[in-house]
Amino acid sequence: MSDDIQPGSFEEFKKSFSYGARNDLNFKFLAGLSDEDAAAFFQELLWKLGDTLDDGNAARLIEHAYAWQVHAYDSVSSTTYDEGPFTPLRKPLAESRIALLASSGQFIAGDDPRPFGVEDMCQEEACERIMDFIRSEPRLSTIPAGTPSDQLRARHGGYDVRAAQADPNTVLPHEIMLELADEGHFGKLAPDVYSFVGACSQRRLLKETGPQWVKLFQEMAIDAAVLVPV
Amino acid sequence: MLEAAGIPTVIIGIQAFRPRLAAMTPPRALITPHPMGRTIGAPGDRERQRQVVLAALDLLETADHAGTIVEFPGTYRVRPS
Repeated sequence: MSDDIQPGSFEEFKKSFSYGARNDLNFKFLAGLSDEDAAAFFQELLWKLGDTLDDGNAARLIEHAYAWQVHAYDSVSSTTYDEGPFTPLRKPLAESRIALLASSGQFIAGDDPRPFGVEDMCQEEACERIMDFIRSEPRLSTIPAGTPSDQLRARHGGYDVRAAQADPNTVLPHEIMLELADEGHFGKLAPDVYSFVGACSQRRLLKETGPQWVKLFQEMAIDAAVLVPV
Repeated sequence: MLEAAGIPTVIIGIQAFRPRLAAMTPPRALITPHPMGRTIGAPGDRERQRQVVLAALDLLETADHAGTIVEFPGTYRVRPS
């Protein structure tokens, strides 16, 4: 913690939600809000909670959390951009073989990537070591499509993995895609789906690991890929 | 990277990430009205998850230029109980 932050201050309180004493990845954005905005977040939340005491409708609380996440991350004012690469789909979707990759930190039980040599690292430790992760080379986990949910694990110091742990399809929709392929919406899902911890060295991802993964995908002879940044 | 290597891609990302995604000039992106960590839908909301993936797959076929960013309509919901 910087020397400028007074213990017991509102600044300390806000920052504690971002890898601090009150770490909560859904609300780590509080650390970056002004005092006024952060106070508004809490005041409005509590007011809405009062309404929910009466009607039991939690939707307004969910909407509040969502709206503030969007607001907090809305730091890029311009959406103009240069043209990026574009490869048209060469076959009809109904004949296409499609791969799935998510930066969700999921893996199959028994195939733990063992980050930094640690056996069975828990989500809490992944958060404590977030800076180690951000400096590290990403590692791709291979997951056979259709693996039952109770055999999948999620661990990622950058987002709240509870939803992914309860239902892996919330971030890695492998079962969804198998169903849709069976129904003829597209040709086939590649038999293995992939995940990695997106909180990693972006430089190494772009320069070293990424090109290796591109080769892997090319060798899979797929027609397209669905990518889920989490 | 995959796109440049000749593999068409579609990204599914949440609304909060839209500014960052747009700045990266994605070939195709479907933006979901969901909170962080629930990109495809709420746990157990199979119907929403299916609709989201179908909309993303549709972009693979219908997008015809880089920077095609489409918002999935509606709002986040939890699995109907």
